[in-house]
Amino acid sequence: MMTKHYKLAGLLTVAAALVLAACANQMEPAQAAIAGVDSAVTSAAGDAGKYAPEQLSAVQAKLADLKASFDKKDYQGVLSSAPAVLAEAQGLLATAALKKEEMMKALGTEWTGLAASLPQLVAAVKSRVDVLSKSHKPPAGVDLAAAKSGLADATTMWGKAQAAFSSGNVEDAVNAAKEVKAKAEAAAAALKLQLPGAAPAKP
Amino acid sequence: MTDPIQPAGAANAFAQTYEVKAGDTLGKIAQQFYGDSSLYMQIFEANKNQLKDPNKIFPGQKLVIP
Repeated sequence: MMTKHYKLAGLLTVAAALVLAACANQMEPAQAAIAGVDSAVTSAAGDAGKYAPEQLSAVQAKLADLKASFDKKDYQGVLSSAPAVLAEAQGLLATAALKKEEMMKALGTEWTGLAASLPQLVAAVKSRVDVLSKSHKPPAGVDLAAAKSGLADATTMWGKAQAAFSSGNVEDAVNAAKEVKAKAEAAAAALKLQLPGAAPAKP
Repeated sequence: MTDPIQPAGAANAFAQTYEVKAGDTLGKIAQQFYGDSSLYMQIFEANKNQLKDPNKIFPGQKLVIP
């Protein structure tokens, strides 16, 4: 009877040792797998954060899950899930590049429209400023000083927009051009100038 | 496009325009848009392509209001 117990205990010890050895064998590959995913996420984070933030968040959440599994010593779970997460992380760069290209294309179209219309908008405002500057009594409610100031700001900002575009920074160029539009429209409102094709100036 | 300050002529999509009605004069139109009838010559100058005399304008003419 005792011999049987010793044999069983021995078997259990051997089995436990094998399990421990197996775990130890899987720990390092699991650690390496997580490091691989981590590295892929880190290298994609810049562009992906800007152009594919939702996809980046999803991969980061999966990476966190892998780390949680590792902490629970579920190395097998890490090893079975890691390849898919790695592939997703590696795909982030391509996704971000595609989204960036789409965004740049849209910004280019937006710039073309702004570049065609803004000089005319600014010219229309300047024309009215020039005429009203010759008046001895500008109409009631017209703030000529504000219009002149807004026009000067718009002109300066347009220079910045063009410089940004020339240096290849389309995003900054479009943002600056939008400011030009806002300032020119505010100047038109100060003149009580209703611009065709624009929202009516506020009274 | 390097200069944002171009003349606001008829080709300018943002230029304000006005269609002359019976009884209008450039002075009346200047008063309406600028609050100052003495600025009528500004309108005349901007519409020299269709006006020969500031005292002769006709209903239906579309004037650019600079």
